[in-house]
Amino acid sequence: MNPAIITFDNLSIGYRGEPLLKNISLSITQGSFTAILGTNGSGKSTMLKTVLGLIPPVAGQIHFAAGNDTPLIFGYVPQTTNLDPLYPFTGFDVAVMGTYRRVKPGLFVSGKERAFTHECLNAAGAEGFAAERFADLSGGQKQRVLIARALVTRPDVLVLDEPTAGVDAAATHAVLEFISKIHREKEITVLLVTHDLPIVRDHAQHVIWLHQGKVLYGSVAEMLLPERLKSVFEMEVG
Amino acid sequence: METLLQILSPDFLLRNSVYTSILVGFTCPLVGVFLVLRRLVFMGVALPQISSTGVAAALSIPVWLGLKQVSHSAQSEHMIAFIGSIVFTLVAILVLAFLERRGRGLPEGRLGTAYVVSAALSILILSKNRYAELGWLDLMKGEVITISNFDLTLTGIVLGVVLAVFAFFHKELFLVSFDRAMAITLRKNVVFWDIILYLLLGLTVSLAVLSVGPLISFGFLLIPALIAHLFARTMRQFLVIASLLGGVTSFIGFWIAYKWDFPVGPTDVVVLGIIYGVAWIIAKIAILVPEKHSTDIGVKNGKHA
Repeated sequence: MNPAIITFDNLSIGYRGEPLLKNISLSITQGSFTAILGTNGSGKSTMLKTVLGLIPPVAGQIHFAAGNDTPLIFGYVPQTTNLDPLYPFTGFDVAVMGTYRRVKPGLFVSGKERAFTHECLNAAGAEGFAAERFADLSGGQKQRVLIARALVTRPDVLVLDEPTAGVDAAATHAVLEFISKIHREKEITVLLVTHDLPIVRDHAQHVIWLHQGKVLYGSVAEMLLPERLKSVFEMEVG
Repeated sequence: METLLQILSPDFLLRNSVYTSILVGFTCPLVGVFLVLRRLVFMGVALPQISSTGVAAALSIPVWLGLKQVSHSAQSEHMIAFIGSIVFTLVAILVLAFLERRGRGLPEGRLGTAYVVSAALSILILSKNRYAELGWLDLMKGEVITISNFDLTLTGIVLGVVLAVFAFFHKELFLVSFDRAMAITLRKNVVFWDIILYLLLGLTVSLAVLSVGPLISFGFLLIPALIAHLFARTMRQFLVIASLLGGVTSFIGFWIAYKWDFPVGPTDVVVLGIIYGVAWIIAKIAILVPEKHSTDIGVKNGKHA
């Protein structure tokens, strides 16, 4: 079994000192594909923001293990609706932002980094529309550009916040297939936030399920057994 | 044509005013681009007014306290005014930014209050200093006439610093503006970069208000950026079009004002307004700008759903 890359140690998460979810202890293993599943308001985004360092934990700790004493690098794919369409960035402009951790302030992005950005856009199937204005792209195309940007960061963990929100069924399938492919080929750790049960069933290996203040963690096979779901959540799941 | 040759002549009496207008015209739109993109247009209205209140206060307080004669040198007066302008502007920016980060209350309400209170305060200060009416009301009206070599040099240096910081750190400034969460995951100090941006904004607004007055400052902060946004397909185009438009319009405005004996500031702003109107019609006719591009600037001020 792979070592843990993210460990929640008696973690409580929430806003302004008010815990939404309490005393969470679990470990996400390196190279795993984990889905954070739950309904609106269950705490999915709060958990994601806490992992990314956007908000501090209310109590407890998160431990990260990237090896060689280097900090963990997150390739973050936000919801496309979080990005203001007023900015006239091209797809390439957005993707190249992934290099900004390596390109220090005051320095310009080198030809090598630009070439790597094109490589990632190509891998994500986004090179064809990289020169177009980001705001003009379809939901699926934007997701591909944002996934390319996340890959440009050379991430230890790929973090996707509801990547299928506002995306049609065909594009959803294509985006998830691509994420699964890079997960397999690069053995990259994937953390996916979703409320879509079929996506979890088809692509994830582990599930963190948030429901009415409860946090459950396990493999997809054990978590999605109808009997277990019924006993825990007192509801029928098809 | 004769007027144009006269203005372009190195011996032209008001050449410092021309150079200052053009400098402000080129630089203000670059800062204005950030105000428009961050949906802080109302801040562009309030800051020049707050800055001019700072000028009025800085020049009046020493007179009231009997520490300074009114007839002190133009250079020291300009420096005092600059200090007053920059202090008021930066304090206002930092307070408004802090309140915005807390995410409570109504940002438009705060900015509107800041604008109207500072405007009223300017009038009160001026009413208690009869000497002020001579020069400061010209400043308020945007009469760009009496610009000394010192004023021009100070304007050139400060705006040069602003341009240099933009040139070297534009990628960090755009990243924290466009995708704050991404910036944090890339370990960027977003508060530090916000402060840098606000400092640049404060410096530019202070200098512009001191040189050309609050009216032109607001006009050049906002209108060139809005015109450029109609046509720009990339961020580089956006910045270049906005800046060039500001610089060229400031020169054309000066030319028209000199030829027909208008005040320079209002002429510049009216020319910009006419260009905006024509550009909007052209953009619509040519269908260069799909509906979603014209966007609802200012409607969601500061927040995007």
